[in-house]
Amino acid sequence: MARSLWTGSLSFGLVNVPVSLVTAVRDLDLHFHQLHEKDGAPIETKRWCSQEDVEVPYEEITHGYELEDGRQVIVSDLELAAIEPRKTRTIDIEQFVDLVDVDPIYFDHPYFLLPASSDDGATRAYRLLTEVMGRTERAALGRFVMRAREYLALVRAREGVLSLTTMLFADEIRPTKDIDAATQKAHKPTRRQLEVAVAVIEELSTDFEPERYKDEYRARLERVVKRKRKGETITAPDERDQPTPAPDIMDALERTLAELKDGGSGRWSDARRSQGAKRR
Amino acid sequence: MARSIWNGTITFGLTAVPVKVHSATEDKSVHFHQVHARDGARIKQKRICSKENKEVPYREVVKGYQVGKGKYVVLTQEEIDAAAGERAHVIELEEFVCAPEIDPVYYDRAYYLGAGADGADAYRLLHDALRRAGRVGIGRWVFHNREYLVAVRPLDEVLALQTMRFAGELVDPSKLDVPEPSRAPSKREVEMAGKLVDTLHERFDPAAFEDSYRERVLALIAAKARGEDPELPEAAETEDGTDLMAALEASLGARGRS
Repeated sequence: MARSLWTGSLSFGLVNVPVSLVTAVRDLDLHFHQLHEKDGAPIETKRWCSQEDVEVPYEEITHGYELEDGRQVIVSDLELAAIEPRKTRTIDIEQFVDLVDVDPIYFDHPYFLLPASSDDGATRAYRLLTEVMGRTERAALGRFVMRAREYLALVRAREGVLSLTTMLFADEIRPTKDIDAATQKAHKPTRRQLEVAVAVIEELSTDFEPERYKDEYRARLERVVKRKRKGETITAPDERDQPTPAPDIMDALERTLAELKDGGSGRWSDARRSQGAKRR
Repeated sequence: MARSIWNGTITFGLTAVPVKVHSATEDKSVHFHQVHARDGARIKQKRICSKENKEVPYREVVKGYQVGKGKYVVLTQEEIDAAAGERAHVIELEEFVCAPEIDPVYYDRAYYLGAGADGADAYRLLHDALRRAGRVGIGRWVFHNREYLVAVRPLDEVLALQTMRFAGELVDPSKLDVPEPSRAPSKREVEMAGKLVDTLHERFDPAAFEDSYRERVLALIAAKARGEDPELPEAAETEDGTDLMAALEASLGARGRS
């Protein structure tokens, strides 16, 4: 069973559902340890006082905030805990929104909310929420505090389970005004270019089937580790030439479309096939 | 001009779009340094060799992948880089999907794309064509020793790129152990709860939510900087409702009166 990261209650009007939070993500990355090159021994990181040259046990560590004038303000765990919102153990549903109105840019980390007890009242309230939310394609917005941070969270039903996604606050999204999006009139595509580009996109359109995409980088890294273990020499493959913008975009688009319609016999489609790309 | 964190090329078919990647988000939570409570001095992380019990300078540190107890395969950064493959600076949009088909759990970090050198026309074309087709481009991006599945889509006037998790990285909800009640919620309870959802329904307005906790942390710091001793409020407890129907009725009643 997944480890619970937080327990509390999800409150919906005056209904309180005891829930526990578990992560929805599994870490499959290859992790490396730091080793001392000379003797191959693992490196340990120790917390050291920069003034006294002694190791500092965890209980003697507190938080320092550096002010603009260079002074430092010390803030203790106790003080931080005291300013946590009163209902730290509650996710208060403040409103319901339509999921399609929430831009993915706000999504942060996905979790599941599970009933915190097998008590009949608790599981029935949980079931009630999943049913009602699943029926309406609506998601609940609320806030909660975890690990000394306040989160905005989106709660919705997913396959009979409550899914919680933490969200960024609006001021954590950067403005786009500094991004060069080539909006000058001179860069506007012609009607014909747009038509052919849309036709290419439609040719390559498919349903989103996430299971089809595998992490190829991880597979390559696993092979590198395996080969190194056998004592082989590993060198990075030469990077293929960077594709450069075609001098004639229209020509590139039309050739792409022709290859796609042709069932993919051209140079570009061969490259795609060799990469294991699959098409509908 | 915002600094870019990666430069490369997006391709769709034979069309290449040189792009610059910029972060679309910034973490605004208040960050503290670890300090020693006794003397207020900063805590340093010291790398100690577990065999020699001596500090190790950074240049003597290598990366090892553990293959057994106390056994490691040592890899140099160059060997790790070899896994990036031969298309390390290309994001090929392999296919295009409808955005609403992508469940929110797949989305990870968001970035903005800017037009790269000589890429303005192609950038605009990709942006406008995706908007016209109502589609999102799916590709792969190798960044910081990892490969990400990415979604490229128009967001207002810019192209946005969002990293996505691979399906294998997500916990399957059907594998979770969810205790079931002895009897399902009654029709009436579902109706009442549905009404409550309706009364609380609003249009999503992200600006309506502020990080009030962050504000309180900054206020606490400001008070302490002025030499004040902050007054600490007591934390309150909530109680669990047991009678589901009564709680639903009371919620709807409370709403109706307000």
